[in-house]
Amino acid sequence: MTAVAPRPTEQARRSLRTEALEARPVNLDGFVEEWPEKGLVAMESDFDPQPSVRVADGVITELDGRARADFDFMDSFIADHAIDVATTEASMALPSVQIARMLIDPGVSRAEVIAVTRGLTPAKVLDVVKLMNVVEIMQGMQKMRARRTPANQAHSTSARDNPLQVAVDAAEGALRGFAELETTLGVVRYAPLVAIALQVGGQVGRGGVLTQCALEEATELELGMRGITAYAETISIYGTESVFVDGDDTPWSKTFLASAYASRGIKMRFTSGTGSEVQMGNAEGRSMLYLEIRCILMAKGAGVQGLQNGSISCIGVPGAVPGGIRAVAAENLVASMMDLECASGNDQSFSHSAMRRTARMLPQLLPGTDFVCSGYSAVPNSDNMFAGSNFDTDDYDDWNTIQRDLQVDGGLRHVREPEVLAVRAKAARVLQALFEHLELPRITDEEVEAATYANSSNDYPFRDVLADLTGAQQVMDRGVTGLDLVRGLEATGFHDVAENLLTVLRQRVSGDLLQTAAVLTADFTPLSAINDANDYAGPGTGYRLQGERWEELKKLRHVTSATDPETEVD
Amino acid sequence: MSTPAPPTLTVADYPLSTNRPELLRTPTGKPVTALTMDAVVSGELTAEDLRIAPETLELQAQLADASGRPQLAANFRRAAEMTAIPDAEVLSMYNALRPRASTAAQLTAMADRLESTYSAPVSAALVREAAEVYGRRRLLADDEPEDAATAATSPDAVTPAVAADETTPGSPS
Repeated sequence: MTAVAPRPTEQARRSLRTEALEARPVNLDGFVEEWPEKGLVAMESDFDPQPSVRVADGVITELDGRARADFDFMDSFIADHAIDVATTEASMALPSVQIARMLIDPGVSRAEVIAVTRGLTPAKVLDVVKLMNVVEIMQGMQKMRARRTPANQAHSTSARDNPLQVAVDAAEGALRGFAELETTLGVVRYAPLVAIALQVGGQVGRGGVLTQCALEEATELELGMRGITAYAETISIYGTESVFVDGDDTPWSKTFLASAYASRGIKMRFTSGTGSEVQMGNAEGRSMLYLEIRCILMAKGAGVQGLQNGSISCIGVPGAVPGGIRAVAAENLVASMMDLECASGNDQSFSHSAMRRTARMLPQLLPGTDFVCSGYSAVPNSDNMFAGSNFDTDDYDDWNTIQRDLQVDGGLRHVREPEVLAVRAKAARVLQALFEHLELPRITDEEVEAATYANSSNDYPFRDVLADLTGAQQVMDRGVTGLDLVRGLEATGFHDVAENLLTVLRQRVSGDLLQTAAVLTADFTPLSAINDANDYAGPGTGYRLQGERWEELKKLRHVTSATDPETEVD
Repeated sequence: MSTPAPPTLTVADYPLSTNRPELLRTPTGKPVTALTMDAVVSGELTAEDLRIAPETLELQAQLADASGRPQLAANFRRAAEMTAIPDAEVLSMYNALRPRASTAAQLTAMADRLESTYSAPVSAALVREAAEVYGRRRLLADDEPEDAATAATSPDAVTPAVAADETTPGSPS
């Protein structure tokens, strides 16, 4: 503490170029050196275990160099639930380079790859993806994602937890193409009102959109059981036993929870991501990707249909180390090659640099994933209660243009302003009527008008927060369910919205949305890895952006007419 | 229930809601086609009618098996068992499985209850496996002889450990 470096007596002269570079947003980002001993390393660490497996009497007795007696609970769960004991020795005997080549070889089908990957240990999976550069990872993703048709997911939240804002932005988001909408809260007690707003607003924008409210596990399940939300995602899992326990869960509690959701007909996926263990202070000296691969295998063992990964709320950690964003792309690929639905991140705010934010999402957007973002902010980032997203409403036109430039389907489309205003106004009126019907705090005409034209929560009149919180409590006390919402919508004359919501609720009875990577199309057809299985087999196959959808994505806010350069096409 | 043995499905039967609606019934025995707006408005339908039936989860398990997803199928089969457990008890069972929330005896009692009260052997096996691993990894609540004895005999034994945990922090006790 006493040794102070000598300060130069005179500030060294800096070049104007350096000053210009220093002023660039990217230099506000944080970067650190690798520290493998502490797990602060993306995917190349001498401290990760070497792949190995031993089977005796139908039981895995050694996993990645550790004997069964020494298994921690992640090893135990993965050995006993995730890895196919019958094929593991044969799969593990394949050279990693051969498996990596299978992943990118269009002559090898997705099913053939999965026949191998189901027998791999975490260290072997890591050994395989370590061989792949980022383009190969994308090639692998193009073939391995579960659902043929890519989709996208939005966040709809409000800095003031204003249910009206959540409803209208959900409606606009649904209209723009998001297949799933997620909300969360600043003040948790607001949850019932905001979840209702999301559910109803979403169905105004496009029938069949699925909604969720991210809360503590037990509360999230309760809202789902009541039919106020349609699916759940914030079911966090971790790659080390110590961090899993710090999160107050185990693989068995989470597996039980997965079945609990399915027992109510509710779609669910787990959440994990690189960097969470080192951020929570106990990576046990393993690389971020190794630990994430353990999470992915744990999720597979639990029998949950899918996983949200891609670092998610820990993106700053892999984002700060060399090769970190490659590792994030690799973790998405691993989820897909384990035959799970992958909602692939591009979620929490990641960089001050627009260029870096864009580069970060290309490994998901270009090959397509089941949900390219697992939270694109359908509100301005100042209203994003998930601490901001990599993309927000300001980026809508950029996103649409990138889809058009590269002819890729990122799940969104340009919508003309009159249509946007129409659904926003309708969503606001629907929520106004429904709140009145349910004797919840009034939504005024002034608020409806503001909501129609608003950008952020600042553009709305203030609500009486105490009255809202009382109303929210009443929703819970009175046991309001999704069916009550349907009844209220029908009674207040919004038959189409009522019908949309009833159709979504009815899906629970069929269980179709429980299958891997399921979404509902606009005509309420369940689309999953069963009836929309990814059949990519090289050029000219798999999902192609063409036909009607491509015509839709050619439209932007300003496109000059070919026949009359003085005008713009609609 | 006098329902006939469910047929063995193939992936072509998916989605059941459009391809095989005749196989779908609510837990209350209504066909899925009875879930109409008229029935909602008339008050004929309750939230209970919008739940999934165990038979339907078995059908979805068959589809998961047919599409090469044995773990997903196992999840659906545990879920089929759990349809019989009331919401509040499902939540309390989940909480009881959290680390250091339950003693070995409490987990055993929970497994027994799953098996005897809810005919849920697959879920019970998961809980017994948890108890074994938690014991080895020191993730059981501290065994206190009195509590353990109560836990083994009381059907409510699945809840107390957690309820105590959640009220303890900050309380003067």
